[in-house]
Amino acid sequence: MKEMLIETIKNLFSKPVTVKYPQEPSPPPPNYRGLIVYKEELCIFCTKCEMVCPPGAIRFTYQEDGSKKFHYNPYLCIYCGECVRACPKPGCLTQVEEIAPPESSVPDWDELEKRAEESKKAFLKAKAVAKKKPGS
Amino acid sequence: MGKRITVPFGSQHVALPEPVRFVFQTENEKIVDVEVDVGYVHRGIEKACATKFKYMQVGYVVARVCGLCAISHTLGYVTALERLMGVEVPKRALYLRLLVSELDRIHSHLLAMGHTAEVAGYENLFMQTFRHRELVMEMLELLTGNRVQFDFACPGGVNRDLTPEVEKVLREKLKVLEEKALWLRDVYENDFSLALRWKGTGVVTEEMAKEMNVVGPPARAAGLKTDVRAEFDYLPFKEVGYRMVVLKGGSIYERNLVRALEVLNSIEMCWNILDGLPEGDIKVPVKGLPEGEMFVRIEAPRGELFYYIRGSKKLILDRVRIRVPTFANIPVMKELFVGMDYADVPATVISFDPCLSCTAR
Repeated sequence: MKEMLIETIKNLFSKPVTVKYPQEPSPPPPNYRGLIVYKEELCIFCTKCEMVCPPGAIRFTYQEDGSKKFHYNPYLCIYCGECVRACPKPGCLTQVEEIAPPESSVPDWDELEKRAEESKKAFLKAKAVAKKKPGS
Repeated sequence: MGKRITVPFGSQHVALPEPVRFVFQTENEKIVDVEVDVGYVHRGIEKACATKFKYMQVGYVVARVCGLCAISHTLGYVTALERLMGVEVPKRALYLRLLVSELDRIHSHLLAMGHTAEVAGYENLFMQTFRHRELVMEMLELLTGNRVQFDFACPGGVNRDLTPEVEKVLREKLKVLEEKALWLRDVYENDFSLALRWKGTGVVTEEMAKEMNVVGPPARAAGLKTDVRAEFDYLPFKEVGYRMVVLKGGSIYERNLVRALEVLNSIEMCWNILDGLPEGDIKVPVKGLPEGEMFVRIEAPRGELFYYIRGSKKLILDRVRIRVPTFANIPVMKELFVGMDYADVPATVISFDPCLSCTAR
């Protein structure tokens, strides 16, 4: 009881341990696991990151000419960094310390997932047909 | 004999950090019957692990079972998978896992101790405990990159290495933490009013603990020598100076004292790990598909955690079964409550440190 009393009186006259957050900044520590940053010019479109992502926050949609487009949902991402480790091109996917800002207009991810599924199916079908043609 | 009155405790109660429901039948303050419902936070994680996620991703899914023992769940799954597939994990990775697992134990124990103090009405000690707990949280944030969801262990090793800069900061903070933990141990052991409130309340005897299969700090406080760290070889605990803490008595006071002493032992282990960290790789690639079944036991901060997995050469596992420490401690809690004063209920419940997110999954 005596120790607690001494500690309490000491605390009355010492500085607070907490950070006054909105007035003072509260920066994340070095190497904090934040957003995934994607560089399209380095990407080889192997879709390895899409395959390893646990929540499915990275999806590729297939264009009609066979090219792929990268989509990333920072609000579904669990920031595990598995995609960064799976990426064969160094520098293409990196994890930065910033976190996703609060956003009111999130893109319709359900619709995008559906589109990714369908476009992939269509792409694979077209590929199969193209393969068959020269043989027949 | 008075009339029977039904008193619900939960699902939302000021003493509870998570939803659990006890319905007590009382007769003049004495409890005569109790019912428990633990399924409020069910999310269907076991089913999701066996239907939706590939075996390499399940480690990240089970980490989300519980925020407090996140590393324990990942560790349980990852160890089971490695044993099933015959992967030899590098020594450095094992020691890093051990470091994070012990730091996790420290922060979980400090949280439990703080909450028990709060429920006893000692708000001041609660604040002090949580203030010192923040040091561990900062250490974990530096080491793994996040405060709660560590995602540190992965099949084949660990995801992050310990850099010299981080190690320097860890040593500084660990020094401060050791000082504070000694002070906290002293307060929890010698505080007059806490001893008045806790000594002899909610006593679990050794026979009861044996019969009801109590696990974790409550069992060790009752004098039962049970600790998975000594019984099941999953990490090199013996090499870093692990000692089993066993006390006699089994009341709330001893349960918290066991936690305080285990915190000191964990800090000692962390020093030993930092001093003698072996060099080498932190990860080996995992190839192939899991076939067969495997179970492991892990000592989570609350007690024995059991993992069972079964695979049949497919990307998705057939079955993932998790048995958590709180589930094993519920029967003894039910037994304890009968004949107890209603006023002692919140302190007793919290002293078992129930984790309902784990229990319901």
